[in-house]
Amino acid sequence: MSDATKVAAAASSRDPAVGLAAVASLRGLLESLEELQVTNARDQGWSWQQIADVLRVSRQAVHKKYRRFGF
Amino acid sequence: MFERFTDKARRVVVLAQEEARDRRADAIRAEHLLAALYRVPDNLALTVLEAHSVDAEGVRADLDGLRDGLGPADAQALATLGIDLDEVRRQVEDTFGEGALDRARGRARRWSAGHIPFDRGAKKVLELALREALRMGHGYIGCEHVLLGLLNSGGPAQTILVARGARLDSARVIVEELVRWRRAG
Repeated sequence: MSDATKVAAAASSRDPAVGLAAVASLRGLLESLEELQVTNARDQGWSWQQIADVLRVSRQAVHKKYRRFGF
Repeated sequence: MFERFTDKARRVVVLAQEEARDRRADAIRAEHLLAALYRVPDNLALTVLEAHSVDAEGVRADLDGLRDGLGPADAQALATLGIDLDEVRRQVEDTFGEGALDRARGRARRWSAGHIPFDRGAKKVLELALREALRMGHGYIGCEHVLLGLLNSGGPAQTILVARGARLDSARVIVEELVRWRRAG
């Protein structure tokens, strides 16, 4: 079975353990990338409003989430 | 609470804190105590685990699976979606430097906490260790009592140990025998 076929098979798996684990890991990856990029944006002097616009969330949401970073 | 701990058991507590920090955890958890037990050479907990044929490498792999950051289990899960985590990590590190992806997860926690507290599960393990020592009439808390605490704690550390073949009842028997022999010798 080729890699692509294997991936397609796994993605269409009805086993909740497989599907849910993939979603959880994807969320972990998403959070890591978001934190990295928000930090980078702040380092480069972006405002919370600018960051929120590109992330397509409210300014309050992004500020509340990353306020604890101390910037 | 730590005055009755043996030097090795204290070392376990210190190393558990290191484990928690290395794994970018927001608290010291029971599984960090378990990982720390394996880092203190020649302790009775390891003798007890060997007596149960618990595979040290297997336990380490299980503990890695519990990691806060993105570990091998995540890489596997993401692969089912066609995402190559190693490739993502490589791309991110090309731009932001080594460990950038993992560092991102740890940053907020480091900011909020220079000192890492014990979570409820880890506190429970230490309390149970004390109780085991008292029940056996041992005047100190050693690594072996920490192990008994772990085997009775109800958390993921206990699940891992039991899945790898350790049992509370037989561990208690072995600890009592080992301590008796040591005293007789």
